[in-house]
Amino acid sequence: MIEPANTIFNSASNASSQEMKFGASIRAIGVTKIYGKDQDAFHALGPIDLEIKSGEFVSLIGPSGCGKSTTLLIVSGLEEVSQGYVEINSEPLSKPISEVGIVFQDHLLLEFRTAIRNVMLQQEIRGLSRIEFQEKARILFEKLGLKGFEDKYPKQLSGGMRQRVSIARALIHNPTMLLMDEPFGALDAITRTQIRHDLEMLWLETKKTVLFITHSIEEAVGLSDRVLVMSSSPGKIIDEIEIDLPRPRPAHLGDYPEFSSFSKRIYNIFERLGVYRFN
Amino acid sequence: MNYLRVAFQESRLKVRLRANWISRIIYPAISVMFFLSIWELLVWFFEVPLWLVPKPTDFLNRFFSDFSLIADHGAATSVTIISGFLLGIFVAVPLALLIVSSNSLQRGLYPVIVFLNIMPKTVIGPILIVWFGIGPLAAVIIVFLMCFFPILVDSMTGFRAVDSRLFYITKSMGATTWQNFFFIRLPSSLQHIFGGMRIGIVKAVEGVMIAEFISSNKGLGFMIMRASSFMDMTLLFSGLIAAAIVALLFNSLLLTIEWLMIPWENQ
Repeated sequence: MIEPANTIFNSASNASSQEMKFGASIRAIGVTKIYGKDQDAFHALGPIDLEIKSGEFVSLIGPSGCGKSTTLLIVSGLEEVSQGYVEINSEPLSKPISEVGIVFQDHLLLEFRTAIRNVMLQQEIRGLSRIEFQEKARILFEKLGLKGFEDKYPKQLSGGMRQRVSIARALIHNPTMLLMDEPFGALDAITRTQIRHDLEMLWLETKKTVLFITHSIEEAVGLSDRVLVMSSSPGKIIDEIEIDLPRPRPAHLGDYPEFSSFSKRIYNIFERLGVYRFN
Repeated sequence: MNYLRVAFQESRLKVRLRANWISRIIYPAISVMFFLSIWELLVWFFEVPLWLVPKPTDFLNRFFSDFSLIADHGAATSVTIISGFLLGIFVAVPLALLIVSSNSLQRGLYPVIVFLNIMPKTVIGPILIVWFGIGPLAAVIIVFLMCFFPILVDSMTGFRAVDSRLFYITKSMGATTWQNFFFIRLPSSLQHIFGGMRIGIVKAVEGVMIAEFISSNKGLGFMIMRASSFMDMTLLFSGLIAAAIVALLFNSLLLTIEWLMIPWENQ
């Protein structure tokens, strides 16, 4: 196993030609989201407090409809808060931030663009240098195991490959924050484990701040520095677990004796909440 | 080695395509020939007079001997179809976008359009004659009315089918409304729009004939109508063939454009 610190150091020096950006820090205080008005009002989220350090990998785990996705959209400025406020890098958030990459459960690739052109959408819409981005895309495709698939249409790619292209699209512009909403939810278990590892390696290299939403305890423990457990309607953060396992983490997380205690703790919360009803 | 393999696969593909192409031509051609021969034989055997049912040889001869006349009218019909159809696209697609993006238009305007579509469009012909006189313009407007609706409906379906979460991603890129339209919405809906256009072109070809029957002094419909009033049966049947050719031409033209514009579906 490679020493994680070493990995970071090496890649940092490798990537010195490319600018290194530190991950954004996220601070949310008393954030509440209410959809609709008066009688129709639906209290979807909060109030929640959230504090994510620069370069931290944080997972949100919780039952369906507990406001995880809303949280993600709020910290990127894509949804407005009903109450409370959000700060990114200690600056109050008022409009959608551009230094962000978003990956959803569905790859949401444009079927009429090839893999590489889907990624280059970032450059085209932002109006940035094409040549520079072509080089970045080449490097990113290589890292994500997409080499040779540049000119394939999404239809011609497997589910895992599509999601990798989607990740490439979220990273090509070198954002400070990566928001992932159940990115591996639609993939099979074997692909999931591999892509989980690949994401971890990429994160170790770039140290972007990641907010990762998942339903999978294994994924949350396998990737995160910290797991936030949420309850539903209205969504609240009810527990916080530091995952101090060494990185990179193996495919079989059961190698760590701590893994079972982490996952037991999450299962226990879900049982207490009534998410699981086992007799 | 790799090159050889690719070349081999390509040549095999070509053989398959050619075989496919030949079989697609030959079998229908054989059955058409068979049908025409039976026709020829029956008319000849029962000595049916020319003014009642012409033999295929009669009207095929006429088709070639009067080709320039028929081609002129065919060209006029084609121009009418193209004008009406393009007008249909340029009105229906933006209107579809407007209706999809505005709730009040959806509630107010769309039912009116649906009602207007239910109304038989040929009854507008006499009104158009009063307004614009007998001529191609009235026919263009009828063609437009015929093909407009299917294009509108399918474009609306296409514009609605775009996953709205995609716009979260483009919003984070700072995309403008125009960029959202040209980069995302329009190309995503292209397949649906072409679906509407495929129905629209059939309607347009149908509509142009009716329009030329009632309100034109040019075109195949007009020529057929005149041939009918003179009981010129061979010209009438030649006109029928010409109309079929025009219909086939426009359908395949549209399919070719679709094939060229939607390459991701052909891979």
